Amino acid sequence: MGEHADQDLQTELTNWIVAVAGKDRAAFASLFQHFAPRVKTMMLRAGLSPQRSEDLAQDTMLAVWNKAHLFDPARAGPSAWVFTIARNLRIDAQRRNQRARRIEADLLDAPLAEDVLPDAVLSTIEAENRVRSALGRLSQEQLQIVRLSFFEDRPHGEISRSLGIPLGTVKSRLRLAMKHLRKLLESPQ
Amino acid sequence: MTISQHPTEETLAALAAGQLDEGRAVVVAAHIEMCLACRSLASDLVSAGGILLGELAPSEIARDAVARTLARIDRGEAAAEVLAKPAAALPPDLSMLPASVRPYPIGRWHWMGPGVYWRPIGVPREAGARVFLLKAAPGTNMPHHTHKGTELTLVLRGEFSHALGNFGPGDFDEADDSVEHQPIVSAGEECICLVAMEGRLQLLGWMGRILQPFVRI
Repeated sequence: MGEHADQDLQTELTNWIVAVAGKDRAAFASLFQHFAPRVKTMMLRAGLSPQRSEDLAQDTMLAVWNKAHLFDPARAGPSAWVFTIARNLRIDAQRRNQRARRIEADLLDAPLAEDVLPDAVLSTIEAENRVRSALGRLSQEQLQIVRLSFFEDRPHGEISRSLGIPLGTVKSRLRLAMKHLRKLLESPQ
Repeated sequence: MTISQHPTEETLAALAAGQLDEGRAVVVAAHIEMCLACRSLASDLVSAGGILLGELAPSEIARDAVARTLARIDRGEAAAEVLAKPAAALPPDLSMLPASVRPYPIGRWHWMGPGVYWRPIGVPREAGARVFLLKAAPGTNMPHHTHKGTELTLVLRGEFSHALGNFGPGDFDEADDSVEHQPIVSAGEECICLVAMEGRLQLLGWMGRILQPFVRI
């Protein structure tokens, strides 16, 4: 998908979430069609059963409805926002202890307060383009490592299996991939 | 505050991806509270999660899924959510405690050795890391030790150093079982750290090793 198509999609998703905050059911159905099937895949990849994955995809969308009024497009892109919601529900589902709290999640949800951000806040779309471009400049292998580390239940084992490298090597490959990603994020395009 | 020691990129990515156990997540999140650079990287990594989510192959969803979800909405169902309880008032000696730790029950200081105390933090754990505060008097030589599993240490106050560097407030020390070191607390100020350490037995073993030399005194 080209950058423009991506931007158009992100803009559309943003508009839908804003409309859902105003209880727009058609916009909700559109959001549902985009996100629920992908969130279900995310849950399956995390090792949850098909039924549980389906339930969590629906739970994620229910939370999207309930939280849409909290969504601030100046702070987060729509996909990152839904990813966070889905990720948190996945964490809760996989932690047996239901008292588990999502402190880490809340922190990342928290906006970067402007007083700690010295320069002008990059627009969310610009920031997301920067991340997208950094991901696009990773080698295929590194991109796959990053992908697996985000979504697999046992990322190390899965990286080892799908790249055919020994488990002992996975850690260093993962480290290199993430270091490279950081470098790309920090370097001008 | 100048922070010079940070979590590794893969640890921040694991936090963003939701792949850290709660104990380690709390300590990494505490660092992020203090560190603008890591906060901004973690935020980029969450964006990466969103982008990669968008690239996942869609799975088939039940045909009536939207209708069922809308029905739940009409019933006024809230998503099952566990809200963090509001932080209780902190004792004055813990005013520096990061927000990520505050929702959890905080135990009492326990004597560990001369000048060294630890204080458990009740982060629910399954197989993950145990979280506690470690307080050491100025100039304390911590015994030489290695780690079983990873040990994450965030300095909240004071300063310590070991072979791999100096660690002041906000600095983050990430050690795995390949690391052998002997932290020394700087003179002048007591040092308080937030620690996540993997494994119940490992903790006992580690504490045993810490405790042993002192107990002989």
